[in-house]
Amino acid sequence: MNRLSAAGWLAFKLVTTVIVVFPFIFILLLSFRSMTDIYRNPLGLTGNWVPQNFVDAWNGPPGGTGFGHYFLNSVVVVIVAVVLAAVIGALAAYFVSLLPARWRSRVLMIPLIATIVPTVALLIPFFQVFSAWGMLNNPVAVGVLYAGLSLPMTILILHAFFLDFPTELREAAALDGLGHLFTFVRVVIPLSRPSLLAVSLLNLIWVWGETQIAIVLLQKATSQTIPVGVLTFQSAFMSNLGPIFAGLSLATIPVLVVYFVFNRSISRGVSMGGTFR
Amino acid sequence: MARAGRSGATVPARAGAAAGLRVKPGYVLVASLPALLLLVGVFAFPIVQSIQLSFSDWRGFGPIDIIGLDNYAEVLTSGEFWGSLRLTVVFTVLATTGIVLCALLLAVAVTRNQRGDGVFRAIWFLPAIVPGTAAAVFWSISVQPQTGLVNEILGLLGLGNGHAWLAQPATALYVVVGVAVWISTAFPFLLLAGAIDRVPPEIYEAARIDGAGQWRQFWSFTLPLIRAVLTMVIALQLIWNFNAFTLVYGMTKGGPAGSTTILPVLLYQEGFKNGDFGTAAAMGVLSSLILVAVGLVTLRRSAAKAAGE
Repeated sequence: MNRLSAAGWLAFKLVTTVIVVFPFIFILLLSFRSMTDIYRNPLGLTGNWVPQNFVDAWNGPPGGTGFGHYFLNSVVVVIVAVVLAAVIGALAAYFVSLLPARWRSRVLMIPLIATIVPTVALLIPFFQVFSAWGMLNNPVAVGVLYAGLSLPMTILILHAFFLDFPTELREAAALDGLGHLFTFVRVVIPLSRPSLLAVSLLNLIWVWGETQIAIVLLQKATSQTIPVGVLTFQSAFMSNLGPIFAGLSLATIPVLVVYFVFNRSISRGVSMGGTFR
Repeated sequence: MARAGRSGATVPARAGAAAGLRVKPGYVLVASLPALLLLVGVFAFPIVQSIQLSFSDWRGFGPIDIIGLDNYAEVLTSGEFWGSLRLTVVFTVLATTGIVLCALLLAVAVTRNQRGDGVFRAIWFLPAIVPGTAAAVFWSISVQPQTGLVNEILGLLGLGNGHAWLAQPATALYVVVGVAVWISTAFPFLLLAGAIDRVPPEIYEAARIDGAGQWRQFWSFTLPLIRAVLTMVIALQLIWNFNAFTLVYGMTKGGPAGSTTILPVLLYQEGFKNGDFGTAAAMGVLSSLILVAVGLVTLRRSAAKAAGE
């Protein structure tokens, strides 16, 4: 009976794994095949090997924009957002953690309330301000916006971590005559790298996939990030599935690599209370 | 902001968390100022602006003229809004139910101390990593009749390969729900698996000695012990699915014939396609009120339950 149920669970796990993995495998496989082969036999491996799909995806349709642009924009947005959120968030989280408990809980209400604000309530004002300040189609400005949106979770997680930071280490630093800022930069930050990394990875994954805001603020094709580019691309290439799948590969592979390298850090971030925004 | 800075500094300095490590509140305020400014700029100001815009007839450029409650009257008397709200509720309830049940089942599957569970966990989290639009585009291509992967597989199984589910108003929403389950199960799965990990193993041993079967163990021990995390997961899923713009827009753009136009998609069309930003802002305010209400009710419930335990 026990053995039977063990076999049942294993079968269930394998089926689940197939359902989870199947899209990844086919995105990759189909991105190397020609349109006619995909239409004729999507499950098979027959036909020509077409690496040209990736070249087409990178350059885009004739006269259009391709993943070369999208990729660069996404990298810019990710770097601005992740670095800014980590620096500003860590600074705030650390100094708030030094406050007396009564004050701390009050101050933390600010990021806590911010986490429940839905994007639909923010979208139109974002557009209005970006439009009025001439920042539409500007990936750097969108990166700053993403940093702000990632701040609440970043602060809450880092604050919880800094609270447990060993007091003796900070006292030793104080005895050495280091001021608060120096203690923070020289002692606290180097010892907090795993937590900073975990939070930053969650921010990275969220920013890499964010669509609802980007589709509104980055309307010019040359300014678009990968998730918006994927949609633009789908309508541009309509019937030519090869380059579309190559584009999906380019959208997915970078985060997959990050995930496989930092998988432990990412699960740690989730268990510390992290979400994707 | 300078005013706030000065008044903050007049608060009497208190002892820091540890003796000898006093930090002046003014110092904390200066260090947190960048974060505070950004939070005000990104959350507080837009909320106020959103309310202001919802009372205006702004069309995407020029000055913002206040016209009073016209937008709200228009939205609340239009069948479009109520139809969309109904769709949103149906989508939210179906997707949340599917996601939470799948996540629970998967979490139980990897917390039975079997070899390889770590690998399954790592792999099953993958859908949470993919950009939402990439998953949306992949699945929408895959359910095309004849040429799509899903139809091809169904054809091989003898179930026919001509299903045009995404093109039919009667079925499109359910396809999107299915894909939502594929994408969104991963995250709550990991959270619930973590919660089950924290259940003390002695409880299961005692249960086994008493002859409780697997189902009984889950129902009487696991479930009550992970209730706090489960309630939080359900609340988050309700809120996220109510907001599920990316997946729905990426798969159907709200079609066919408006059959998947959930509120976030309707708001996008109203504002950015029709140029009626005032009306769209009013929709945003109304959706947010609904969301906050749902969030508060669920959170209060979970708080009450936690207090009762």
